[in-house]
Amino acid sequence: MEDLVCPLAVLPTAGGDGEGGGSGSECVSMAALDLRAELDSLLLQLLGDLEELEGKRAVLNARVEEGWLSLAKARYAMGTKSVGPLQYASHMEPQVCLQASEAQEGLQKFKVVRSGVHAPEEVGPREAALRRRKGPTKTPEPQSSEAPRDPLNWFGILVPHSLRQAQASFRDGLQLAADIASLQNRIDWGRSQLRGLQEKLKQLEPGAA
Amino acid sequence: MAERGKLITVMGDEDTVTRFLLGGIGELNKNCHPNFLVMEKDITIHEIEDTFWQFLNQDDIGIILINQYIAETVRQGLDAHQHSIPTVLETPSKEHPYDATKDSILRRARGMFTAEDLH
Repeated sequence: MEDLVCPLAVLPTAGGDGEGGGSGSECVSMAALDLRAELDSLLLQLLGDLEELEGKRAVLNARVEEGWLSLAKARYAMGTKSVGPLQYASHMEPQVCLQASEAQEGLQKFKVVRSGVHAPEEVGPREAALRRRKGPTKTPEPQSSEAPRDPLNWFGILVPHSLRQAQASFRDGLQLAADIASLQNRIDWGRSQLRGLQEKLKQLEPGAA
Repeated sequence: MAERGKLITVMGDEDTVTRFLLGGIGELNKNCHPNFLVMEKDITIHEIEDTFWQFLNQDDIGIILINQYIAETVRQGLDAHQHSIPTVLETPSKEHPYDATKDSILRRARGMFTAEDLH
């Protein structure tokens, strides 16, 4: 079990004792070593986050390009001016919102949630009874402003399939955007942690700076 | 009743705004304040800056999506923005593809490493 001794304890020191001596300089050098290890780990995490950010960016750009193509096809089918700001509703409610949670101090993480999602409407008689074929039917009362209206309806009742595809691409893009925003926050947070650790290291080892 | 989450806003050209509104992020409230800005031909830089600062100071906004070519006009304000909420995300537009060298976040990340920090 002697081989499993903490590596910090076997590092050579100025006094040559090797096993955690009581002098201040040894404590400082051990603290500096701890800090360096922490810095290395933080740096590796940052580089990993940057790589992940680059990957997600590429996927987002690809989704956006797919969406543009679908939007262009929809415009070709419906008319150039049929898909644009002129069709925006005068009253809009967001179908998609963000849930922000704080993972660590100062570190925000985002998640996209769909608001106003309702259970599928039940079609058919609610009571176990015979149904009259030609009886008076009760029309369901319109749900006033509880369920956000699908933006596809701004462009007509029967919209081309390409517009639905465009909507699907952009919905995927929104979740990616939330992931990218979370990554950006993590990178900024890691950057501020890195600076803090570098400052502490400079105070411990002013000669090495 | 579930707590309402934060909004996603978008500032961009007609295509960018239309596509994200199709995704369901649009809000136009009773005071007629939209959570989006469409770049029209006659819009001024002053209006863009005002809207950007307005979005930055709103408590109910989580992410601001902005075309990168528009972000260039508010680059100073964007670089000075250090808060985690709202997060500003630069997106490409049809005529202006995404350029990582201009992105504020990546420029800050590149500035992390100087020669003396690596010793």
